[in-house]
Amino acid sequence: MELIETLVNGVLLGGLYGLVGLGLSVNFGIMRLVHLAHGDFVVLGAYFLVVGLVPLGLPPLAAAALVVPGMFALGWLVQRAIIERTLGRGVLPPLIVTFGISMVLQNALLLWVNADARTLHTPLASAGVPVGGITVPAIRLVDFAVGLVCLVVLLLLLARTALGRALRATSDDPETARMMGIDPRRMYAVAAGIAAALGGVAGMLLAATSTFYPSTGSEVLLIAFEVVVVGGLGSVTGTFVGGILMAVAQLLGARFFGPSYALVAGHMVFLLVLLFRPRGLMPRTAP
Amino acid sequence: MSALVRLVILGGGALALITLPLWGDEGTRSTLIFLSYHAAMAQMWNLLAGYAGLVTFGQQLYVGLGCYTLAVLCERLGLGVWPSFALAALVCGLAAVPIGALTFRLKGGYFAVGSWVVAEVFRLLFGNWEYVGFASGMFIRAARRVDPWAIYFVAVGLAVGSLALVVAMLRSRAGLALMAVRDGEEAAAGLGVDVWRIKLVAFVVAAAGTGLASALVAVQTPFIQPNAAFSIQWVAAASFMVVVGGLGTVEGPIIGAAIYVLVQEQLSGSGALNLVVLGATSVIVMLVAPQGIAGLVRDRLAWTQFPIARRPPG
Repeated sequence: MELIETLVNGVLLGGLYGLVGLGLSVNFGIMRLVHLAHGDFVVLGAYFLVVGLVPLGLPPLAAAALVVPGMFALGWLVQRAIIERTLGRGVLPPLIVTFGISMVLQNALLLWVNADARTLHTPLASAGVPVGGITVPAIRLVDFAVGLVCLVVLLLLLARTALGRALRATSDDPETARMMGIDPRRMYAVAAGIAAALGGVAGMLLAATSTFYPSTGSEVLLIAFEVVVVGGLGSVTGTFVGGILMAVAQLLGARFFGPSYALVAGHMVFLLVLLFRPRGLMPRTAP
Repeated sequence: MSALVRLVILGGGALALITLPLWGDEGTRSTLIFLSYHAAMAQMWNLLAGYAGLVTFGQQLYVGLGCYTLAVLCERLGLGVWPSFALAALVCGLAAVPIGALTFRLKGGYFAVGSWVVAEVFRLLFGNWEYVGFASGMFIRAARRVDPWAIYFVAVGLAVGSLALVVAMLRSRAGLALMAVRDGEEAAAGLGVDVWRIKLVAFVVAAAGTGLASALVAVQTPFIQPNAAFSIQWVAAASFMVVVGGLGTVEGPIIGAAIYVLVQEQLSGSGALNLVVLGATSVIVMLVAPQGIAGLVRDRLAWTQFPIARRPPG
C-alpha cells in the first residue's frame, strides 16, 4: 500500500517535472538551443510570486495572472537582446551565454533576497485528498492537473493554430519559412517567451510544492534536462512522460534509500536510459 | 625578430618565476599559486572546448575526484603527499574512460549538461559516504607539513607543463586530427580520423590534468568538502578564463587566469557580486569579441606567443 502511495505521488509530482521539462523542450525543439538558464527562470518565477507579489497583498491567483505574462516578456527580451546573436555560431556561444545568464540570475537573486529557504504558504500544501484508499497532498494534484493542462494547450497551439504552424515551419527549415513570409527571429522570440512563461507556471507550482533557494535553479535545470533526454528529444509528449519517470524514480529512491538519495536515484535512472536507450523513450529527432 | 621577442618574453617570465623565493613575499607567492592552478585547469578546459569541440560543464567531477584521491591516499591509506598527488592524475584519467564512453552518446549542448549530471552524481555520493566524512569533508593532516615553496614550484610547473603539453599535442598528428574533428566531424571521419577515439584521448588527458591541478588545491587548502570540490563554480571559472583570454588559443587560459585573479582580489568581499561580474563578462565577451583577448591580439597585431598554426612555405 505504501509503495502504491509512493508511485501515485511520483506520478502526480511528475506533472510538475514534465512542465519544467516542457520549457527546455520548446527551446530545443524550435531553435535547437540548450538553455542553461531555464532552471533559473523557473526559480525567478517562484521569487517573483513569493517575494515580489504576495507581500503586496495580492491573492495568489491574481498574482499568477501577472507572473505568466511577466515571464513571457522576460523570455522574449532576453532572446532578442542576447541569445539571438549566438545562434548559428556553433555549440559554444549559446552555452556560454545561457550559462552566464544563469550565473547572473542566480547570484542577483542572492543579492536581492538572500539564501534563506522560501515557500508559498497555501492551504493546498497541508490539505490531503483521499484517492482510492490513499491520501495524497492536494498540491500534488494541482501540480499534475496544471502540468497536463499546459501540455494540452501547448500541443493544441502547435498543431492547430497559425502561430503553431509558423513555429513548426521555423523549426523544420528557417530559410524556407522566411521565404513564406515568416521572420524566424520573431518565431524564436515567441518560442523563448512561451518557454519562459511555462517556466513561470512551473515556478509558481514549485513555490507552493516545496521550499526553494536561489541555487535551486541548477537543480531544476538538471531535472528538466534529464526529463527531456529521457522522454526523447523533440517530443513534447515524451517530455511529459519523462517527467513522470524522473519523479517516480526520485520518490522511490527516497523511500528505499533515504531522502538524501532522491536526486541520486533520478540521476541514475537518467544514466541508465542513456546507456540502454540513448535516444530516449519516445524519440523524434536525432540528438 | 619575432622569434627573439618571443624568447625574451619567455626567458624573462621564467627568470621572474624561478627567482621569486629571493624577492617575492608570501602574498605574491599565494597569488601565483592560485593563478597557476587556475591557468592549468583553464588550459585543460580549453583543450576540450577550444580544440576538441567538446564543450563540457562536467569538469568539476575531476576537480573533486583529484582532491578526494589525494585525501584518501594520504589521510586514510598513509601514502606520502607527492605520490598521492601523482596518483590523482592516474585515477582521474582512468575514471574518464568509462565516463567519456557513456557521455559521448550525447552531442553538443546535451553532452555539456550530461557531463554535469555525472559530476552531480559524484558530489551526492561523496556527500553520503561515511569513509570520506560525509558532507562535512576531510582534513589532510600530512599536507600541512608541506613547504609552501614546494607547492609554489609544483603549481608553476603545472601551469607551464599543461601549456607545453597542449602545444606539443597540437603540433602532433593527434592535434591535427583533433582540430579536424572540431571543425567538421564527418569530414574528419571521411579522411580516416577515428573521431570517437581522438575525442576520448583529449577527454582523458584533460581529466588527468584537471585532477592533478585539483590535487594541488587539496594539498594547499588542506581541507576538502564534496559541495566545494564538486562545485559547478570550477567550470564557471574555467569557462570565464578561456572565453575572456581567448578560446582555442594557447595563451588565452593564462591571460584569462590573470584577469580572473584580479577580479577575485577586487571583489573578494562578495561572492555573489563576484559571480554576477564573471557571468556578465562572459556574456558580453561572447557577444562583442568572441575571439577573446589573445584572439584580438592575434588578429590586430598578428602576434602569437606560441605559434601552432602551420603556414605554407614561401
